[in-house]
Amino acid sequence: MRNLLYIVIQLLVIVMVAPLLNGIIKKIKAFSQKRKGAPIFQMYFDLYKLSRKSSVVSDVSSWIFKVTPYIVFATAVAAALLVPVSSLIAPEQIPGDFIMLVSILALGRFFIMITALDTASTFGGMGSSREAMISSLIEPSILVSLFTMGLVTKSTSLLPMMNVMKGIGFPLAHPGCITIFLALFTIIIAESSRIPVDDPATHLELTMVHEAMILEYSGRHLALMEYGAAIKQLTLITLLVNILIPHDQLIAITGIGAVVLSLTIYLIKVIGISIIIAIAEVSTVKFKLFSIPNLAAMSFILAFLGFLQYFVLGGCYVLF
Amino acid sequence: MGFFLMVVTIIAILLFIISKKSKIQHIISLSATGLQILIALALTREVMLRGSVNYSFLGGFFYLDSLSIIVLDIVLLIGFMASIFSIGYIETEIRHGVIDSNKLRLYYILMHSFLFTMVFALTVKNMGIMWIAIEATTLASAFLVGFYNNKHSLEAAWKYVIICSVGIAIAMLGITFLHLSSIGVLENAQFLDWVALYNNAESLKSPIVKLAFIFVLVGFGTKAGLAPMHTWLPDAHSQAPSPISALLSGVLLNSAMYGIIRTVAIVNRNLGSSIYTGRLLIVLGLLSMLTAAIFILTQKDYKRLLAYSSIEHMGIIAIAVGIFTPLSIFGALLHIINHSLTKSMLFLATGNILQKYNTKQISKIKGIFKLLPVSGMVFFLGLFAIAGMPPFSIFASEFSIIVSIFSAKKFLVGGAFVILIAIIFAGIAVSLFKMFYVNNQQENLQRGETNIAGTAVIVVLLGIITITGLDIPNGLNDLITQAQSIIIGA
Amino acid sequence: MYCFDILSLLILLSSFALMANKKSKSYIKSFRIQSLLIAIAAGMMGIKTIIEEGRFDVMVVCLLIIILKVIYIPNILNKTYTKAKYQVEKDFILNIPILILVCCGLVVFSYFSLSTIDGINDGMINVQVVNSISVILIGLFFMISRRKAIGQIIGLLVIENGLFVTAMFSTQGMPFIVDIGIFVDMLTAVMILGIMVFKINEEFESINIDKLNKLKG
Repeated sequence: MRNLLYIVIQLLVIVMVAPLLNGIIKKIKAFSQKRKGAPIFQMYFDLYKLSRKSSVVSDVSSWIFKVTPYIVFATAVAAALLVPVSSLIAPEQIPGDFIMLVSILALGRFFIMITALDTASTFGGMGSSREAMISSLIEPSILVSLFTMGLVTKSTSLLPMMNVMKGIGFPLAHPGCITIFLALFTIIIAESSRIPVDDPATHLELTMVHEAMILEYSGRHLALMEYGAAIKQLTLITLLVNILIPHDQLIAITGIGAVVLSLTIYLIKVIGISIIIAIAEVSTVKFKLFSIPNLAAMSFILAFLGFLQYFVLGGCYVLF
Repeated sequence: MGFFLMVVTIIAILLFIISKKSKIQHIISLSATGLQILIALALTREVMLRGSVNYSFLGGFFYLDSLSIIVLDIVLLIGFMASIFSIGYIETEIRHGVIDSNKLRLYYILMHSFLFTMVFALTVKNMGIMWIAIEATTLASAFLVGFYNNKHSLEAAWKYVIICSVGIAIAMLGITFLHLSSIGVLENAQFLDWVALYNNAESLKSPIVKLAFIFVLVGFGTKAGLAPMHTWLPDAHSQAPSPISALLSGVLLNSAMYGIIRTVAIVNRNLGSSIYTGRLLIVLGLLSMLTAAIFILTQKDYKRLLAYSSIEHMGIIAIAVGIFTPLSIFGALLHIINHSLTKSMLFLATGNILQKYNTKQISKIKGIFKLLPVSGMVFFLGLFAIAGMPPFSIFASEFSIIVSIFSAKKFLVGGAFVILIAIIFAGIAVSLFKMFYVNNQQENLQRGETNIAGTAVIVVLLGIITITGLDIPNGLNDLITQAQSIIIGA
Repeated sequence: MYCFDILSLLILLSSFALMANKKSKSYIKSFRIQSLLIAIAAGMMGIKTIIEEGRFDVMVVCLLIIILKVIYIPNILNKTYTKAKYQVEKDFILNIPILILVCCGLVVFSYFSLSTIDGINDGMINVQVVNSISVILIGLFFMISRRKAIGQIIGLLVIENGLFVTAMFSTQGMPFIVDIGIFVDMLTAVMILGIMVFKINEEFESINIDKLNKLKG
């Protein structure tokens, strides 16, 4: 019963809120450019519109082309189920840990990359080679930062991690956690194709990365791809806010009210992070492709320094 | 009384700024250094009578004991000699149009502030202030090294400032750790006070003291020209004007070595044995001698050759401090004195040679005896002296160091030491004795000495090293024995 | 309180940022930020000593840092840089990710070498000391990784910053007079090096110190 409740709330929150974040980010960018911009719910309308259209499939493509959108969407949703939005609604145990989370996301990315090669268009191949480069550069820092959090909390599973961090109170007062936070933030920007790494709004062949890979898709398939990307972004943000800025320990009441309060605070945090992402996006310019290793190195260093600070302090995280 | 040492220099620097005629500037410079020597003599007497000089003024800021008075006397003596030599040297440079006459004032101001910083480093007991003064010596002498403003001297000056500043910064880290090890042992007012640190050495935290020693050794070792950190030394010594080379080699290296000796005394007392410091110092010392031997054998520039010889002698002193027996410390202190006098004499003599032949290449110089009878003779005998031949004083100190090494049963070190000294002697003979061969090609150069006062100075220095080589004066002997008991802790 | 830990970490991060910079102007900016962080740390330490011991010297040191390192020295360097006629843009030998990874290795090195020394902060390894010694090592590495004269001056200043932070975090500040002396020395050093940059620029028609290679053997 509790498991079912968890799945329902998890899906409702993450799957329903995901497109909203893109809307908020776009709105803030529009404001910074002195435009009015599209309404924040625009992405819901787009997805609705696309899902009612049939998709055009190139006759030289194989089954991979047709199957990929479903796999991408399914992996995103599966990943979303691994990261609890609130520890109050979570069951005793969630099968799978952050290693599984990273691998599920990697599976989706793998399919996007081969499907971009499948249609043999030049842009697709270019995009997937760039995506392969970026993701291989970003991968070490994801793993180092998550393993450090695992060492801090003595667990690889996300729910126990959340519970331990809840006990700590305000982890961001701690030097190690600050660097991990910054590292994860950089990773989110890279993974969700945001500006210093990739430009989500561009269709210029020189700069596209993610857009180049889904260029051949249309209609229903395109809707699934974009929806999947939005869910992945929200899952990663959830991971960041729920582990490093835990809030459930502040809630004094119990029952339904507690769950509602917890979810509200969660939403506020997520929107806060997306506002920061938007600010980061408007205040920087896109890097050229060969500068991305610098960003990746910086993010790796941040994760690694967090790891070192943890060891230097000799595990006294849990004490305070 | 001791404060007059510094006041004299400050007044002299102010007078240089005011005065316009070059003659007056020469007189100011001479009288300032002469006055300082008189003050130093009085202070030496006081130290010999009482063991140390320490005024209560400014919280016991000013402190002299027999260890620092030895180094201080050398600084002031060589400063005096160099300022006599400078008169003739700089006048000749101005006459040849190498520098213009306005730069004389800058030269004197910088030279006297260089001397001032060294005096300052030797008369304080706070290790932190000593560090500041030693760093200030680099800054004061930077423009003296780059005095000629050509490509070579600028390169030398840049390397000198950068390498020495970084090195000395590392020494600061060492001093910070020394300070850290004393927290909880010393009171607030005593922080970094050498006497307090030394008296409470047993209760400092040993692991941090060990760490501190490594940093201090590398830091001050850079300034003293010990081997892997020596790279600035040949450049700076060869590019500076000759009186400044004499000061750099004869005096500056000693002040850095003085810092190392002070730290070694604390560390050895804390650890209760000299094994830890001894190993590090002996390795660095042998490495310096080896580097010097290799470069002396293949050297083409005589000032650079003498610079490498300074590295060798610093290595010898480091080894002697590393052995840390009463005899070896006696040898080390004596060697500091002898090396300074001999090496500054040689550098001053090269000043005369350089101005006569206008080249630093060994191969272009022939028949010094004919053109420069006195300086040539002094240079020739000085080469024997620096290589360690009797009857000169370096023989005495090197001999006592060798005896102390063998009596401490370090046969491997002793064997390497003797072999390296022999190689260096051969190197000096092979490279430099060519300069004395007669050749008729250089008849067009004018014969005779130009810098009469300067030549008299080097003759006096030769006299001093010959006499002290035959017999160490009683007063000096007592002073060195006192200093030795300060370091070893009788 | 962990605020000194966080500050020491931010100071370390600012030296990483310095390492990732490409242009001389941005070196100077990073140095300014690092000095500002140090001034904040010194200010907090100063308030603490005023409350606990009634001494004002650390606060004076904090003000000196703001005047000298945050305002005056960066301005001198900016002036030197703009006046130097011959400017090269490419300034580093290895590419930036490798430089940053080497710096990371330096942090690990300083951690492991300090962890073998007991006695630094009573049995527990002091995170602040590790971070600030890493700043010194990164400053040294910065000096050998840049070709231009300005880069070397900045490297020297970062080393000095690291020394100051090490002294402040490990011993709660050196004796006052020593701190003042270090500032005077540093200021003179920067002025002397600035003048030398001009002279090198005139004589060698470049401020690339690779050209200083005449003296050998």
